[in-house]
Order: sequence, then C-alpha cells, then structure tokens
Amino acid sequence: MTVRPAALPPIPFTGIRPRLRRRESVLIALVAIALVAGDISLSATHEIAAGGPPTLGIADPGGLAIYLAVLLGVHLAQVLAGRRTDQVLLPAVGMLGGIGLLLMERLPQDLVTQTIGGRTFGLAEIQLAWLVLALVIIGTLAIVVRSDSWLRLYKYTWAVAGIGLLILTVLFGVEVNGVRLSLRLGPITGQPSELLKVILVVFLAGYLSENRSLLIEQDTRIGPLRLPPLPYLAPMLAMWAVALLVVIVQQDLGAALLFFLVFLLLVYIATGRRSTLVIGLLLFVVGGLLLYATIAHVRTRVDIWLDPFSDPAGAGYQVIQALHAFARGGLVGTGLGAGLPVVSGRLPIPEIQTDFPFAALGEELGLAGILAILGLYLVVIERGLRIAAAAADDFRALLAAGLSLVVGVQAFIIAAGNLKLIPLTGITLPFISYGGSSLLANALVVGLLLAISDRGVESPPPPRPARRSPRRLFGRPGRGSSGGAAAGRAP
Amino acid sequence: MDPTLISLWILRILFLVLIYLFLFAVARVLIRDLRSASRERSVELGRLIVVASPSAEPAVGSVFSLDAVTTIGRDVNNAIVVDDQFASAAHCELTFRGRAWFIEDLASTNGTLWNGQPVTGTIPLGYGDEIQLGGTRFRLERGRSR
Repeated sequence: MTVRPAALPPIPFTGIRPRLRRRESVLIALVAIALVAGDISLSATHEIAAGGPPTLGIADPGGLAIYLAVLLGVHLAQVLAGRRTDQVLLPAVGMLGGIGLLLMERLPQDLVTQTIGGRTFGLAEIQLAWLVLALVIIGTLAIVVRSDSWLRLYKYTWAVAGIGLLILTVLFGVEVNGVRLSLRLGPITGQPSELLKVILVVFLAGYLSENRSLLIEQDTRIGPLRLPPLPYLAPMLAMWAVALLVVIVQQDLGAALLFFLVFLLLVYIATGRRSTLVIGLLLFVVGGLLLYATIAHVRTRVDIWLDPFSDPAGAGYQVIQALHAFARGGLVGTGLGAGLPVVSGRLPIPEIQTDFPFAALGEELGLAGILAILGLYLVVIERGLRIAAAAADDFRALLAAGLSLVVGVQAFIIAAGNLKLIPLTGITLPFISYGGSSLLANALVVGLLLAISDRGVESPPPPRPARRSPRRLFGRPGRGSSGGAAAGRAP
Repeated sequence: MDPTLISLWILRILFLVLIYLFLFAVARVLIRDLRSASRERSVELGRLIVVASPSAEPAVGSVFSLDAVTTIGRDVNNAIVVDDQFASAAHCELTFRGRAWFIEDLASTNGTLWNGQPVTGTIPLGYGDEIQLGGTRFRLERGRSR
C-alpha cells in the first residue's frame, strides 16, 4: 500500500502544492505524548525528593513546549513545501532528541554553564538551544536541497577542507582534559571531527560511485586473495591514512574507529567484495596491536577495559560507576530523576552528559528503556538503507547508506563502550548527548537523508570523464556538438 | 504501600510504554513499506534519460523504460531509435544480467562512449553513468517501483 499524495490547493503566487504527511503527524503526536508523560514523571520525582506532595505538573513546561513546537513547525514546513520526503526519520530523531532533553533537565544544571549578556544559562537551556538549531537545519535542508551537484562535483574540495579543519585543530586547538579536540571561534567551541565524519562520507560516496565499475571489474591477485585494483584504491587509502593519522595525533580513538568502520562498510557496499571486509579486519587487528604497543593512551584505555577494578578510585572509576548504574537500573529502571544520587557534591560518573548518557538512561529507564533507544537507532539505519535502495543513482545510494551508517555505528560504538563490551572511546551518543557540534553534525546527516529521499529531486549533472585519457573516437570530445563530424563519417 | 508512590511508579512505566507504542507505530509503517515494495518490485529494470540530443528525436528529457535487452540505433527496429546522423543503424546494446546493467558496442562506425571513454567489449554500468552515441547522450537510472 502506498500513500496517495493528499491533494491540497496550491499556494497562490508560488505554485507550490502542499502535501499532507499523515504518518509523520501521527508519529509526532505520539512523540509529544510520550515526552509529556516522561516530563510529568520527572517533575513528580523531583517534588517527592524535595519532601512535598507531588503535583501533576511538568518539570520545565517552557523548554518542552518550545522543543515540541519547533518539531511541529518543521513538520508543517515540510507539509507546506509539498515534497515527498521520508516521514519516519523526523519523528524518530525527535524522540531521541526529546529523551536527551529530558535527561539534561534531570542532571544538575550547573554541569555546564554559559553566560551571555549577563544571564547564565544552564545545561538544559543550552541543549535546548542547540536542539532547536538542529531541527531548523534538518527542516531547511529537507526543503531547500534539490540538487546534490554541490556535493558530487566538489568532493575533493570537501575532502581538502575537512583535512584542513583537522590540521587547524591540531595547531590551534583548545586543550580540554589534556586532549586537543576543540576549535574555538569567538565564544563558541566546536569539535571538527564531528563535521569530518559527514565530509568523509560525502567524499567516499563520490569517489566510489565514480569508480565503481572499475573497482568491480578488475582484480589484483595476491596469492589466493582477490583485491580491488590498487591504483584505484590508492587515493582512498591515502585519505583514510591521513584522517586516521591526524586523529591518532589528536588521540581521538572513537573518531578513528568510526571512520575506519564506515570506510570499510562503504567499500563493501559499493563493491560487494567480502575480501575487503576480511582485509579490513586484518588491518584493524594489526593496527590495534601496533597502537597498543606504542601509544600509552591506547594502552590505558584497553587496560581499563580489561580490568577496571584494579584501580577503582582512579582510572577505572568512570567505567565501574557506569556498570553500577546499569545494575541499579534493572529491568524497568528507577524512573527519571530517581537514579544517580549526587555523592558529596559530585556526580558518580564524570562527563555523564557527553560520554555516558547511555549509562544514565540505563539506570533510570532500565533495560527496557535502553533497548527502546537502540531500537530507535535501528529505525534510523533502516530508513537510511531504504532511501539508499530507492535512490535513482549510485552516488545518492552510497551517500544515503553512508550517512545512516555513520549515525548507527557511532551510537553502537559508544553504547558498547558504556556497557564495557569494547574499550571506552570518547564519542557522543547521536541526538542524545550534550554538545552543539555533535547535534549539528547529526542534523546535517538527517537533513541530507531527507533531501535524498525525495524522488522528485533534480537529476544529477553529467559525470566527469574518467581521469585516464580516453582514446579519441570522435574528432573532439564534444558534448553532443557536431564535433563528431570532423572525424567520423556518417554511416 | 503509599498511593502516591504507586501512582508515580505507574507514571514511570507509562513513559516506557509510550516509547514502545511509538516504536510499534514506526514498525507498522516500516512493515507496510516493505510489503508494498515487495509487491511492486521489478516493474522497471532501469530507465534511460536523454541528456543531450542534437536532433528532435529523441527529445531532451524524455525517459525510456528499459527491457532486459534494449538495442539503440538509427534503424526503426531498435527499441530506442536515435535520429542522429553519427549513429549506426544498430549502434549499441544494453543488457540486464543478474543484478547489473552491461553495455556492448555493436561494431558501430563511430563508437560508443561510456562516461567519456570508448566502449570496448562488454562494460558493466552503474546507475548514474552516461553513454553517448554520436551527439546523443543518455543517463542510466534505477527503475522506479511504479
């Protein structure tokens, strides 16, 4: 069954015909109801903790109202624009962002403060501002982007810009907790590696779609292994090595792992060769052992993961507290606001708002809650892969697959790190963690996915001729001009 | 038990139930989508879109739905007729084998270009690739479900 586009009269003077989005409106209503229920339970918990009788109020009615209003506004803007974009992504992302907002309202507000114009804003207020900006970006991209040639044609420019951004961070970055990851621009600090993951996907999608046939067609044989042709893999490996090197210099293991996994998955999707996965995993094992042997930072991380209880008050503190949090949560959790007592003025889990929101949600919503959250990420991945399967050409297909995988893989890396399944790496939980650069980069991803999902988008520009110079069959390599007349004779 | 604590507990469970209700609603949409996709699949193997054409036939922007074997040339017996003075009577052939498209030049006088390169032998095509015969250029796109 397909949705018939609901016929609405066109808007005068613009000629745009609005199109109702029933599924999206129903899903957004469900999101609103769930978030209001969550907020009521949060405020009741706060009031009982304060000693008073609970009233059925909302903890932060203003903040939640603004968030839901903007979510509805993005939905209505898409209805008015009348494009046939995906109707599930926005509600799913809205749910994740809303759960993140509830968590930030529940944490102590003085974890992060920023003073602008004499007024001090707390954690939840800053997060709300970023969320609103992220939703606006999603809506704008979904409505405005009609052509992908600005991504397709300038892929090398984007790659150079991304690497330049990383080098700038290494040279002029601000050190936070001994790691240089942030770049300061006036009052705003950002993490360029979040933006870089989007740029990496755009570059890989462009490169692989242009050279896909060549990658499938030819082989380099080493013993029993069939490898893709080396000359065509070289620029890609170089891009990967540069990104990886800079990231290792920055000691950002999470981003390095994310880049590598997304790179492998995209090459596999583009070529369909299992050998790339095998070789990639071998490279990963070798690289991991090398890093473990040479870099102290990596060794500490792995040692903490293997045995956090050897130093429970120091290095292993964060991880042990997260495990305790999951244990306290049990099946259905302690309830929003009821977990994590502040111990002697400090939180049990340091950096909970950026690196450990999954553990906090595991405590307060329990196993049921975190399974639902993982389910929401699966929904985002499923939609992305469906958009890829329906895309008209290979560039859009690879771009959609890569964008959804980058969000999904990031979510599963940090969730597994919180659960002590893999060594902890300091990356954010998409849409839930506190932080502007993470929210904005992921909004960019969702906005682009929505734009690609519209079947009515402008057709792509002609592909550039391949770099190796073709034997000229025609007199001049013309674009449909009568240049062929000079050399060719009419049959 | 304190009734306020019980109602608070119920409220907390309600929040979880509502999140699952949302997931359930999403799952229903996804399953419906998958069903409709599997019912409507393989209506179209691929489509050719005319990007440039020196003559009026075919017109720029027209779309050809492709069969598993599609021949292109100047002769009227071709599936796609190209009224281009530099195209041969039987110029080239697109075939869908397994899961991908391939192009083969049928010994035409002026040759066929694939993304600017001459076609020799049988070449696998990707969606979004361009082919050119004479001055006429086509772009291959994935077929639509309806």
